[in-house]
Amino acid sequence: MAESEAEFIAVSNRKGGVGKSTVAIMLAHAAAAYGRRRVLVMDLDTQCNASLMLIGGEAWDKARRAGKTIADYFFDRFDKVAEDESEYVVASAGDVAHPRTGEGRVALLPGSLLLEDVQGELFLKQAKTGQDAELVASQVRTRMKRLMKHFGMDYDLVIMDCPPGLSFAALAALDLADRVVVPFRPDFVSEFALDRASLLIEKVNSAEELAEIALAKRRYACLPNYLRGTPRERLVLEQLALDHPMLTSRLPELASVARAFDWDMTKKTMEQKFGDALPHIRALHDELFGASRALGRRQAV
Amino acid sequence: MTKEMKTLSGAALDRYFRRVLRSEPALTPEIAERLAERLKANIASLKLRREAQSAEAADPAAAAVQGPVPGFDPYSPNLVVVVRLAGRDAALAALAAIESPDDLRLLAREQQLSVEPSVATPAELRLAIVAAAEQRIANRRAAARGA
Repeated sequence: MAESEAEFIAVSNRKGGVGKSTVAIMLAHAAAAYGRRRVLVMDLDTQCNASLMLIGGEAWDKARRAGKTIADYFFDRFDKVAEDESEYVVASAGDVAHPRTGEGRVALLPGSLLLEDVQGELFLKQAKTGQDAELVASQVRTRMKRLMKHFGMDYDLVIMDCPPGLSFAALAALDLADRVVVPFRPDFVSEFALDRASLLIEKVNSAEELAEIALAKRRYACLPNYLRGTPRERLVLEQLALDHPMLTSRLPELASVARAFDWDMTKKTMEQKFGDALPHIRALHDELFGASRALGRRQAV
Repeated sequence: MTKEMKTLSGAALDRYFRRVLRSEPALTPEIAERLAERLKANIASLKLRREAQSAEAADPAAAAVQGPVPGFDPYSPNLVVVVRLAGRDAALAALAAIESPDDLRLLAREQQLSVEPSVATPAELRLAIVAAAEQRIANRRAAARGA
């Protein structure tokens, strides 16, 4: 099926404040600029930070008022057969000068403050069939996953910016994802967050079961973010690397990254947008997608 | 004069140099530190007379300057990693090279391994540190089980 040809990447961590939206946006821009890929960012977080970073407050508000957000998409299309979903998408997103159409572009399915409410409504709608609650929840998640998968027809890469919690949408995204990037801050609390995230992604119930899956076979990879280069960080990274696959790429704590997420109406180059963070973003892109991917798309992972 | 002597080397020797030099009022702290570094670089071990050992132990000024050895790395060895990969005995062996209670406490603090303040001797501290590392590992496993 054409819809399955896109690569789906979830950026997820149950812990908040680890830079999920930031990483999602950086990857989207890098994949468009260096990989010439048609990228869709799907904003599943009710904080809507990815949307604000990509289209600014006014355009996001306009999409919200027009009923063109991910919550509207799920609600409108839940009971319907597949239709053209492009009306929900902002075709040209971000303040980096990518092409507006064709290869190397970034689009956005805007987030919604109401996504969690809509999930509740969909659950109640589905529950009318009188089935067991767990089964109903599973059906809602499966339907949401199918709806998300439709976007694979029009894009090469779909980046799903997941919320910190475990909503139906987040679980559907993790189920759909070909790979999951788990950004984290290297502190001691992150150990627990990564352990929990990994169990969920690999669908196992304990650290012992997880250990039976070789690191190289895991569907997720952890991305150390906000690094300051302290010895305590090194300690934590060494400990986490015993249990979880770590990306070689590291994202240091840089003012240029913080500044880069102020949305601006003026289009910029990647260098102007990301400044001294750009080499790190490029390295992350190449590690995740392979330097050879810069020449094409959909090579084996 | 007794002929019983104690051989000092490594961190203990380093500590001895600093203790002696810092207790000399004619030396500024900077000069004392420079001399200690030079002696540390040039001398591998020395034999300390018994009465010198007693004098050091009885001197409150000397005790006051006792502290973590400069240059001591409290992040090495990574205790949790050693316990995970090589077990309890290997972790205790890795800590054996650290003789100073202050250094052991510093390592515990920086690696967030909880040790009771009442634990005093180096041997007890090493055991407590390894037990704390084992507890950390057990806590992580238990927390993940509830996910």
